[in-house]
Amino acid sequence: MPNGGSNSAAAVWAVLRKECRSEWRTLYGLSAALLFAVTSLTAVSMAAGRLADRTDILAGLFWIVLLFATLTSMSHAFVREVEGHTMLLLRLIASPTEIAMGKLLFNLIFLGVVELVLVPLFMILMGAPAPPWGPFLAVLALGTVSLAASSTLVSAVIAQTRGRGALFGGISLPLLLPVLAAAVNGTRELWGGHPIASSLRLLAAYAVALLAASLLLYDHLWED
Amino acid sequence: MSTAAVAVGVLRLAGDGVTHRYGARLALQPVSFEAGSPGAVAITGENGSGKSTLLRILIGLLRPTGGSTVLEVGGDVFEPRRRRQVTGLATPELSFYEEFSAAENLLFAAETRGVSDPRGAVRDALEAVQLNPRADDRVGEFSSGMKQRLRLAFAILHRPAVLMLDEPGSHLDDAGRAVVATLVQTYSERGLVLIATNDPQEMTLAQRRIELRGRGLGSPA
Repeated sequence: MPNGGSNSAAAVWAVLRKECRSEWRTLYGLSAALLFAVTSLTAVSMAAGRLADRTDILAGLFWIVLLFATLTSMSHAFVREVEGHTMLLLRLIASPTEIAMGKLLFNLIFLGVVELVLVPLFMILMGAPAPPWGPFLAVLALGTVSLAASSTLVSAVIAQTRGRGALFGGISLPLLLPVLAAAVNGTRELWGGHPIASSLRLLAAYAVALLAASLLLYDHLWED
Repeated sequence: MSTAAVAVGVLRLAGDGVTHRYGARLALQPVSFEAGSPGAVAITGENGSGKSTLLRILIGLLRPTGGSTVLEVGGDVFEPRRRRQVTGLATPELSFYEEFSAAENLLFAAETRGVSDPRGAVRDALEAVQLNPRADDRVGEFSSGMKQRLRLAFAILHRPAVLMLDEPGSHLDDAGRAVVATLVQTYSERGLVLIATNDPQEMTLAQRRIELRGRGLGSPA
């Protein structure tokens, strides 16, 4: 009998490992993300100095840098497959949901790695005060899940269209605005010593909604 | 391959009035057929008649705009979404990750497919297409003929019940064409092989033929 039984977890795991190996070999996204983070933070630091007393600006700046450092790389999750003509290979060996879940997990890891560098770098270069780490990491984690889920979904939707670059921005912006608003608000309130429960609830609800919508949509993405 | 003697049981592949349009353009005129195992069937027709489109429909990548298809293997009916489990496709449109070696590409495919012994399956597939000496070379360094052999290895990696070969001899030398002939013989003895081709030599590998009556390139719809 054929030797190719379906095992979704194994397929997702294999796609995730492939993504990690490919990124490790090419450093396609990581180098671009870290270069953007370092240069933008250095430039702002040189222009405005340390902004320890302007936590409202720091909160916005942190999420702007994280968003722009990672979004371009994550938008290529599926675009690279189309442009490298490897989408057919993927479609022949896994379901769209398995492929997308593997790529979503990779994007989460990718964001985590960038944040590992970005957070301490941001604290040092911008002179940001140390936040209460528990709530800060909660805001960061929920914002990260929403960012990864949104960019993976949009990347999958636009991958086989013409004018992908323009479409990615156009579709991502309305999807990401609520995340950015809640994340910036939560981070600012954290530094101000205020409660952030409402921001956390909004981020959590949005992350769950994005993940649920993704799971519902992925299997219908590439039906010709 | 050591698995050549393992039969797939009763296999039936049928199409009833299968047709496909890309927008206003008719890509595949209605075609009906029935095929089973063991055996090999050649799908022929002029350029643009829909040979590749038909294979994509049969493997479940493309939904026909008209008609229906049935694939039954060992009493189990495979809906289009599940067909990749029991079918293998080698087509010139198939590309690999150039930063990975041939073995790494196949290992990724085998693990994703859930093959029980992925490393063994990769070794067997590379041996079958005589590509094992270059297993660890990056695909980006491969010639077009070697890439075509890799496509064949990819198609047989999970020992499919239905092997679909789209222009299998393209870019291949005589030794490569002999590999194709061996694969067709092996897989037609244990299952069904579909060969989309206009090459008279490749047509002789099949016992039956489905001729598509397409409009070809001369008069697009």
